Amino acid sequence: MNAETRFDAGELPRLPADYRAPLWWGIVGLILVESVVFATLITSYFYLGIDQPEWPPAGTKTPDLVKPTLGTLVLMASSLPMHWADRGITRGDQTALRWGLLLSIALAVTFLVLKYIEYSEMGYRWYTHSYGSISWAIIGFHSTHVVALILKTVVVSALAWIGYFSERRSLAVKVNGIYWHFVVAVWIPLYATLYWMPRVLK
Amino acid sequence: MTASTETDRPGVGEQASVRPAMSRKAEELDRTWYSPSGFFGWFTQVNHRMIGKRFIITSFIFFLMAGIESLLLRTQLAVPENSFLTPDHFNQLFTMHGSTMMFFFAVPMMEGLGIYVVPLMIGTRDMAFPRLNAFGYYVYLIAGVTLYAAGFLGHAPDGGWFAYVPLTLTQYSPGLGLDFWATMITFIEISALVAAVELIVTIFKQRAPGMSLNRMPLFVWAMLVTMFMIVFAMPPLMVGSVMLALDRTVSTHFFMTSGGGEPLLWQHLFWFFGHPEVYIILVPALGVISSIVVTFARRPIFGYTAMVLSVVAIGFVAFGLWVHHMFTTGLPTLGVSFFTAASVMIAVPSGVQIFCWIATLWGAKLRFATPLLFVLGFFFIFVLGGLTGVMVASVPFDTQVHDTYFLVAHFHYVLIGGAVFPVFGAIYYWFPKVFGCMLNETAGKWSFVLMFVGFNMSFFPMHQLGLQGMPRRVYTYLSESGWFELSLLATIGAYVFALGVLVTAVDALLSFLRKPDAPDNPWGGDTLEWATSSPPPNYNFEDIPVVRGRWALWERGEEPAGTVVGLRSGRREVLVTTLLDAEPHAVAILPGPTIWPFLSAVAVAAGFLGFIRHPIWFPIGLLLTFVGFVGWLWPRAVGGSAEEEQAR
Repeated sequence: MNAETRFDAGELPRLPADYRAPLWWGIVGLILVESVVFATLITSYFYLGIDQPEWPPAGTKTPDLVKPTLGTLVLMASSLPMHWADRGITRGDQTALRWGLLLSIALAVTFLVLKYIEYSEMGYRWYTHSYGSISWAIIGFHSTHVVALILKTVVVSALAWIGYFSERRSLAVKVNGIYWHFVVAVWIPLYATLYWMPRVLK
Repeated sequence: MTASTETDRPGVGEQASVRPAMSRKAEELDRTWYSPSGFFGWFTQVNHRMIGKRFIITSFIFFLMAGIESLLLRTQLAVPENSFLTPDHFNQLFTMHGSTMMFFFAVPMMEGLGIYVVPLMIGTRDMAFPRLNAFGYYVYLIAGVTLYAAGFLGHAPDGGWFAYVPLTLTQYSPGLGLDFWATMITFIEISALVAAVELIVTIFKQRAPGMSLNRMPLFVWAMLVTMFMIVFAMPPLMVGSVMLALDRTVSTHFFMTSGGGEPLLWQHLFWFFGHPEVYIILVPALGVISSIVVTFARRPIFGYTAMVLSVVAIGFVAFGLWVHHMFTTGLPTLGVSFFTAASVMIAVPSGVQIFCWIATLWGAKLRFATPLLFVLGFFFIFVLGGLTGVMVASVPFDTQVHDTYFLVAHFHYVLIGGAVFPVFGAIYYWFPKVFGCMLNETAGKWSFVLMFVGFNMSFFPMHQLGLQGMPRRVYTYLSESGWFELSLLATIGAYVFALGVLVTAVDALLSFLRKPDAPDNPWGGDTLEWATSSPPPNYNFEDIPVVRGRWALWERGEEPAGTVVGLRSGRREVLVTTLLDAEPHAVAILPGPTIWPFLSAVAVAAGFLGFIRHPIWFPIGLLLTFVGFVGWLWPRAVGGSAEEEQAR
């Protein structure tokens, strides 16, 4: 009876890099919260657009498809080196980690540059009409996420270059990766909404 | 599992013989889990009991402020054509009263109870992210203080607590009042979401070994459901309040019809939050009531499974009710009928709760201490509020009483009955655990009687006033209207209610002068928080208990069923267990006290508040917050290896 009721925690892992770490669950929680925010934005887009005679309103062009699609592919591609870096460090491969993180950052920056070019050429602003307001809100909110993603990955890769991570200590890389994949994945419904819905709703 | 196994409790004699060694361990734990004191130390504390206590005390102060505001409102309405308040002040006061009660009292109070009680109840030493906890508190404090400071400086919001557009757009509400309101509402949502994620992870991953989901105390279940509701309800309001702030500051057209905006979008976003909000406040109260009922009936709850399922059902159905706040906006009949059905349906799980409590209390040898009195008061008031709730769920009736005092009566019966009475019960119930001394029973009974009588005297006449056609939010009325006698009665009732609150507040203040004398388990409760001293030590439990049944302390007399060994005392280690069965599978090392959460909260606040003046503050706030987070999350042992960190 005594042996049953005592539990020895002495040998349990202290630095697990998977679902055994509370931080892993914390990131899942953050992703859940953010998913609801993005879902609300998409719902608002439809709510504002559905009853309008024209969407986008007369005088505003339906958004072009080439640049945004290219940008979407670039952003999706950035998940690959992130995955490579993550897999690398679980095997102790520092090279994969260091270069994978930098490559992901480079692709995310490219995405932002493409977005910047695209939106500086837009003929409308957030104060033009409700279509402008919701489009800029969605783009602004997502781009802010990409900026935050880049900033925090810069910190993770700085730690990677000074050799902080190893196969025994990789939780930060793991959760940074999960969040990265989320920001990439959530862009796909946003892309579909912003660039394809005006064609469908027409 | 039954009382007969009490004889083979893990050696009482053995425990006594190792006591000197244990106290060395306790000393080391005490050093490890120490919370810095003093003025500067205050900004670095992270322990959940410190943060929980702050949430509870701060939100109680906001409760008193909002109470004073309501007394001013009632004084103005006591007699017809009164000029005690100007119309503008009246508008500002009812806006601040509603906003404070909903955002700065009810939700933070429930979070505070969760943050304080849940880790003790599930047998862990702290929450999963202690620094995030502190961050959430500072965000809340800054939001509340800023809103009130702005109000006193003449920038009080006056658009009501649900701030309907277009009234709240710059065209009709110039000035900074509503800018502060929209910004601070966004801001306080952050605090609620932070607490939600934190409590969910803590409940999922840090329960004591053996506390599988089907053995979890009902209070913890209620908190878990509430926090999931926050995760789904608060983000839409955040989006809505950001849109409102953008419409006001950078002229977007989300709600302004002139540019294709939709005013009703605000109502949808607000009530998609606003209705679950009622249940976000109510569900933790249900948990409090279950705790108190079990303890004072001195028997296990009747229908544990039904209780859990009905709380979860309330959590789901609460999201299908929001449109019943919008019945008069001309929505399609089919949609409106759906929401009527859902609004009536929620009475079913609520009824299951009530009947299970009655079944638990039935024939039990009750001890009529103050916490139980507040629970019985809850039954009476909440059931009345529920009945009028079923009435206003029907469209024709709702159309008749919409925006009248009938509504005011209904939601005060639901909110004061559903939240304030249980919170007072919780205060009397857990006060000895939190502060180490009992509150005065005589004062408690007086407080209850005054609050109960005052409440009904104040709000019951409002049903009648509403049926007579008195609209809500009017700053005065004519003497010919025939509303005078009942309004005066309501005003007198409000003062009686306030007196009852005052009795508890004074009693609580006086108790700080007394020496801590409360026993560990004054009420004979079954949950783990009663297994440690009152108030608990910095580290909560010297040994993490092992749980072997649903009624942790009752399974084996006063002692939990076993202990965990092997957690290091020299650093902040907590046990991580599996989600369903709570089997240990890792150890987490928690961070210690730090100033960074406070600095990060200030950085976020700078971004939000600066944005009212100029959009440039958005990137500035983002960068400052980034710096704050890097300082906060910077690893402990950049130089050392992982092997050292595992073994140290």
